[in-house]
Amino acid sequence: MRSNLWRVLLIGGVLVALAGCASNDEWATWKQHPTHYASGDHGFFSLRNREGKSATVTRDDIALARDQGWWGRPITVAQEQILER
Amino acid sequence: MMMTRLAAILAVLLLFVAVAQAASPSEDRILGLDRYTSDKGRTLAATYGATLKQINTSIYHCMPWLEVPKEGLGFYKPRDAARDDRYLSLRVYIEQEPSTQFAAMPIEQRASSMFSRYVGPLLRRMTGNGALLNDASLDGFTVILEWLKEAPMSGGRPVHETIAVFLDKPTALEYLQGMVKPPDLADRSRVYGWDGESPLGRLRLAAWDDNFVSTYKVANYQLAPGVTCH
Repeated sequence: MRSNLWRVLLIGGVLVALAGCASNDEWATWKQHPTHYASGDHGFFSLRNREGKSATVTRDDIALARDQGWWGRPITVAQEQILER
Repeated sequence: MMMTRLAAILAVLLLFVAVAQAASPSEDRILGLDRYTSDKGRTLAATYGATLKQINTSIYHCMPWLEVPKEGLGFYKPRDAARDDRYLSLRVYIEQEPSTQFAAMPIEQRASSMFSRYVGPLLRRMTGNGALLNDASLDGFTVILEWLKEAPMSGGRPVHETIAVFLDKPTALEYLQGMVKPPDLADRSRVYGWDGESPLGRLRLAAWDDNFVSTYKVANYQLAPGVTCH
């Protein structure tokens, strides 16, 4: 009984942790078309919406899309060149 | 029975933690108090910590196509300042569709476009706290805008263009009161540019009214529960 409860709890925790992640299909599609989602509304929209579901984009979807670092680490000016702490 | 209750409570807590993390911006966007190198900067940050959080949160939710980088918000000293002038400073990366038309413009024109579009609206978001505006320790405002120069070649690293706009407090106040119009705001700002890591020096920009920020909506964007944008 006790071990069953912990098993349920563990599975529940994993499900919660995975709730914000993209599915395998999403990543497979992204890998085939890396620039397709690289910017703008279309990327945000594509990541979220599926046939037959209502069309919504949340802030989490956008954050998730960015976190994947679509274009890689950019070449840009370091903040220390502009400002001092 | 006890275990069942414990499991249920833990599951609910996990859910709350996941939702809370997802619905708010990371606080590492704000320069930490222990990272300041002067008492003046640290005191401003301690006094207006809630204001910094509010700015961070409002940009995160209400302008989701902008990204504030780590330590992108704080009371920094401009590098060209002779004294310990402290400016409320905000750095954002502007996510937009790569455009060959935009990339073909001269840098001054791209910079002018970004200045016109973002400096005014961001300055208004940064100046919502009247007490901060009246604080004699605050010397001005910095808005740093950064965008993708062009779509990177396959396998290449992306290059960002950046402008840093420094506004002294009197200029900012006059702009907020409508006494300074966008073209004059550009004239009275100190603007520096960078192409990737390479400095372009001081830029002279033209500026104009641009209502993009007040009219643009990310398609199908759904605000998080309890969040309102003005």
